[in-house]
Parts: sequence; structure tokens; C-alpha cells
Amino acid sequence: MAAVKKSLVVEALRRSQMTELLAKGKRLDGRGPLDYRPIRIETGVISKASGSARVIIGNTEVIAGVKVETGTPFPDTPDQGLLVVNAEVLPLASPYAEPGPPDEDAIELARVVDRGIRESQMIDVSKLVIKEGEKVYAVFVDVSVLNVDGNLFDTTSYAVVSALLTAKYKRHEIVDGKLKQLEDTEPLPLKTIPTSVTMAKIGDTVVVDPTDEEEAVMDARLTITTDSNGNICAGQKGNAGTFSFEQMQSAADISRMKGEENRKVIREVTGFAN
Amino acid sequence: MTALINEQGLRHDGRRIEDLRPIKIEVGILKNANGSAYIEFGKNKIIAAVYGPKEVHPKHMALPDRAVLRCRYHMSPFSTDTRKNPAPSRREIEISKVVREALEPAIMINDYPRTAIDVFLEVLQSDGGSRCAGINAASVALADAGINMRDLVSACAAGKVGGQVVLDLDDTEDKEGQADVPVAIMPNFDQVTLFQLDGILTQEEFKKAFGFALGGCRKLYQLQKEALMKKYFGHGEPIVEENE
Amino acid sequence: MPDVKRRYVIPGEVVAEGNHRPIANVLRVGEKFYSTRVGMAEVGHEGVRVIPLSGPYIPRVDDLVVGKVVDYSAFAWEVDINSCFFAFLPAQSVFGRDFSPAEDTLTSKFAIGDILAARVIAFDRTRDPLLGIAGPGLGRIPRGETVKITPTKVPRLIGKRGSMIRTIEMATNCRLTIGQNGVVVVNGAPEGVVMSIKAIKLVEEEAHSADLTQKVQTLLMVPAGAQA
Repeated sequence: MAAVKKSLVVEALRRSQMTELLAKGKRLDGRGPLDYRPIRIETGVISKASGSARVIIGNTEVIAGVKVETGTPFPDTPDQGLLVVNAEVLPLASPYAEPGPPDEDAIELARVVDRGIRESQMIDVSKLVIKEGEKVYAVFVDVSVLNVDGNLFDTTSYAVVSALLTAKYKRHEIVDGKLKQLEDTEPLPLKTIPTSVTMAKIGDTVVVDPTDEEEAVMDARLTITTDSNGNICAGQKGNAGTFSFEQMQSAADISRMKGEENRKVIREVTGFAN
Repeated sequence: MTALINEQGLRHDGRRIEDLRPIKIEVGILKNANGSAYIEFGKNKIIAAVYGPKEVHPKHMALPDRAVLRCRYHMSPFSTDTRKNPAPSRREIEISKVVREALEPAIMINDYPRTAIDVFLEVLQSDGGSRCAGINAASVALADAGINMRDLVSACAAGKVGGQVVLDLDDTEDKEGQADVPVAIMPNFDQVTLFQLDGILTQEEFKKAFGFALGGCRKLYQLQKEALMKKYFGHGEPIVEENE
Repeated sequence: MPDVKRRYVIPGEVVAEGNHRPIANVLRVGEKFYSTRVGMAEVGHEGVRVIPLSGPYIPRVDDLVVGKVVDYSAFAWEVDINSCFFAFLPAQSVFGRDFSPAEDTLTSKFAIGDILAARVIAFDRTRDPLLGIAGPGLGRIPRGETVKITPTKVPRLIGKRGSMIRTIEMATNCRLTIGQNGVVVVNGAPEGVVMSIKAIKLVEEEAHSADLTQKVQTLLMVPAGAQA
């Protein structure tokens, strides 16, 4: 952790302008507190991957690739396939990103996105078994952040979800004790679309989809993920600020409302019906 | 195996829905540390130690206007059923971060410029809810160290087990249950400093679980207070003569 | 002061509400004063304060401190004063105005490990504390034994107008040098030093019990009612 993140220094003028505008319910880029920037989703961008998606929210851009391989199940879940989500902020994504192993921010990002997918039971992992206790499918989702301008959580989450929704993998069989890859492909067994909504508390205002500048000024961050039924399946507060009890309650409502809106965008692009 | 919630509405360990596990907090258990605490929270056994404020190493990490707060949550290799690799896992790195961010709002770090405050949480034996247990211990250890604080931080999880919203999940309930919602608050300011959620909850269940967790935090606050009172005010009425 | 209300508090507890002057270790938010420490809250005419029972030593200008020389450069000694900040004693203040780093060696005055009594000359948020040893009783302490106590309990060890120090010094025939930073040097015959340290530890443990003076007198076998 760098002692001072120079990327997070915001001009004092911008800061006071931002807080003045927020008091009137407006934001620097003209949005209202509960408006997202335009969301652009493109799938099938990497043909060598089982599934892939590029998602752009405002200037934030990430790419997610799914690779379905085979592996050994965990001893305590012999009847379940594996899911691994990993995220990396590439050194080219911002003047301040540095090469090296993922830092705590990238680890948190990957784990919160992973939690949304896993806990919503988006993937029916019980159907990803080749031979119980011996061979299962392992779904690897790797995310590369290409350009940083705030709200990495939602951008990454939508990219992972869209990549999974459009992924196709080759079936395997065990023939004479040997693993054999079949030629036909199949979509992953998916049940729901977990959709995260990230909010930032700036002063006393809560806004969704914060930009880099807003994140630099925010007191605290809150991500809540809902599934297609509007149930809450993951949550994470971040940063050394706080939320009041009332703000927590209304954040749950906001996450359902905005989550449903953004889920529609994902549905349109991927053609997934649930 | 036994049902997570039986016909009488009791949980697998005999607790009712809104019962906490047995909890014991002890303040000032390490000689070397500036502040320390030990907590037993169900089967969790966790030591919290605070070192600081102290000189920052490396020196360039120091901040001119406030202390650097550092936090390490670590599980001993023998703390789990199968041996845990002693190197910090991704889970431990994330928990270290959220614990730090849960404590920081309560610490008046601007009172200690150019210094570091280190908080160490060592999980000697783990059970469900170790991050909340750790936060409770860390917060009294900080008070024990005499670091200026706006408030204590009290933490407790709620969740959903066997179809019902319950308070304070243990290991079994965490693994078999449907949701876990760890929450930490500053009890005198009604502010949430830690919130995580995994599992599935309807909006109504979420509100109920959040309410349960807040109730649990309030109970923890009482236990933290008692532990500090016992260490510092174990004897007699307060008196002080004018001196110097 | 009969009109001063005292009670035990922990961080976050409301000490008082309304119109008061904050003195120490309280945080004002709106109309409320919250304690920031474990300690004893006092609400009186002068204002609101909490006397803390634990915590680090934060230097204040004019404090007498007892420190240990841990390092030196060509221009100054670095002194551990039991705080989160190391203190500096400039060579010029010891050698005088014509101090020359080329000719004077610092170790000819103080060596690493020496114990000093010194006064805090300057300290603020931006720089490390600066020490001076001009004044009676300051400088190297050649003999004695050091004891550390919680810095916040130093006022109790000093006692009302120095009464506690005198009680211990007279009963044990020792001399105490008490730094505000919680470091105490006890000098005297070996038996006396042992008794003094016992008494100091007792003050530390029972700093805020009502009959502290009596307990110390009992320990030191001072006849009851004897005036220090």
C-alpha cells in the first residue's frame, strides 16, 4: 500500500464544485445521484476463450475471459465443479497502476465479484461434474482492467457475468479410465444474473456508479449484488468511512432498482432469458 | 447430522434464533504490546495486539498529518480442521483490509501525525464469525493502548440458516446456511463501519438480518465495556486529588 | 472541589451535554462531549475532561523527561524518551556556541546508553521533540535504577504538590527523578531502592483508588498521620 495515492489527489476546486453540486442533487458530469454512465457490453471478443466480454462504463473499461478446464474437486465438495475468479489492474490501465502481484484492492475486487457469482448460485456447479470425487470442470474467469475511471466493481462484475452467460465449453467423458474431450460444445448451466450496484457516500449524499474523481473524494463505498428475483446475494462496504443505518436500508432498495435496470442491459446483449 | 433448526425452533447447538454463542473478553493480556485483548467467541480464540503509535518503518511511509493504520488478520496453521498454510491467503488479505476500514473511522488518527499504529489479529482457533470477533477484540485493545478514539467498534454477524434469519452463525451454520452478514458499528454514533454479505436474502430477510446484527453489536458493546471496566476499574470509587 | 462530578468512562461514552469548555480527551459533536479514552470523566466549573488511565507519552513543551541516548550524529544526540517520537539534543546546546563538529566529539559528553534528565524545549505536529539540559538537576544521571510507569499516572506518583514523592523519598532515603514520560530514576542505598520501586509499582497499580496514600504509607511502614 502506497502511503499516499497520488492518483487520488483531486483539485480543491473540483472537490468544492462537486460537493456544491451534490447538495443540489447534481454531479460534475451532469448525472443525477442515481444515474449510471452509459454501459456498453460486447461479448465474444476473444475467440480463444470459452466466453468473453468487454464492458465499458463511462471511461472504465475491463475485459473478462472464461476458460473452462478440467480439474480435481475439493475434498469437501466432491460433487461440485470449480469456480475461480481473478482480477488484475494492468499497468497500462492508469498512470498510477504498477506491475506486480495483485494488491489488496485487486484481491478485494476479485473476491467481491466472485462472491456475487458464487452466492447467487448463478452457475449450477453440481452439473459441472465429470466423475464425482475425481474429475470436474473448473471455470476460470480472469479479468483485466484496461482503463480506470471509477466503479471497477460493477464494470468487472458485469464483464464476468456477461462472459459466463455467453460461454460455451467442450464436454469431457471418461473412457476406459482416461479423460476424453468431446467435440460438441455446450453453454454453462446458469440459473440467474447476479447484478452488482456500487454506491459511494460523498458528504451526506449517496450516488451510484462513482467516477475515479468521486471515489477519490468519497467517504465510503458500498456494493450490493442482487439476483434476477431481486434477492440480495452479496455485499461489501469499503473505505474508512461509515454509513448510517438509514443509508444502509435505502441502499438495499437502490441496489434492487438499479440492479434490475442494468440486468436488462445484460439480458439484451447476451440473450439470456432468466 | 442434526437439523440446523429443529421443530422446537432450536439451532444445532441448542441456541435460539437470536442467541449469541458464549463470549468472553479479557483486556491487557500481552506484556509487550501497548494494548491487547483476548476474545473467545464460540470456538473462536483470538488475540488482538496493538503496537503504537510508533515510528514508521520504512520512514517514507509516514504521513505528515496522521498516523498510518496497519492491520494484519492471520490464522495460525493449527487454527483450522486441516492445517492452514501459514502464508497469508487472499481471504486473509481481504479481511485485513475490511477490518482496518472498520476500525479506522473510530480512531482519531489525526492526533498522531508521522506515526504508525499496528493492529495484529491472530486467530488461534477459528469458528464462524472470526472477523467480527477479531474486530471486537481489536477495538478494546486500541482503547487499552490509550489511543484516542471516537467510539468503540462493536461487531456481530447475522445470517440465514435452515430458512430462518438468525443471529451469530457458527462454523457449521456458516457452511451449511444460506447467508452470512457481518456488520460492525460505532454504537454511540449509529454508524456502520463494516458490512459484508454473502448468500441469498430477500429484501425483507435482509432488513431483518441487518436488524438482528445491530442488536448483536449492541450486546457485544456491553461485553466490551464490562471487559474494559473490569481491567481498569476493578476496585473502588473514582477519586483523584489535584496534583502536580 | 465538591461540585466536580467524576465517573468512569470508556471511549465513545457521553461525558456531558450542553454548554461546557472541553479541556482534555473529549470530543465535541454538536451538543455532546464524548470521551476519547478509558479514564475518569470530570465535569466541573472549568469544563469537561477525561483523565486517561492508559496511553502513550505525547511530549509537551517544558516537560521534564528522562531519556536514554540511543544514537548520535555529528550535530546531535538521539534520545529515546518513551514516546512515539525520538527526541534530539543538539550538540551546540551542550558544548556551547563555539561547538565545532570538526573538533568536538559528542561521545566526550554523552555516550550511547547514558540516561539523561532533560526538558522539552520545542515540539509540534511537524517535528520531533527538541531537548535541552540547561537548568538544575538536568543532564546525565550517573547512578540509580530506572523504572517505567504508565505516563498518564505520573501526576499520582508526584502527588499533591509533590507529597507522594516526599513520602517515598523520606521513608526510603532515596532520591527520585520522575520524568513526565513515565521513566523514573531511583537513587539510594540498595534496600531503599527496592522499597521505592515497590511503592512506585503500587502507585501505578492503584493509581485511582481512594486510599492510595494510606496504602503507600502502610507499605513503607510510615506511622499513620505522619506528614510528608
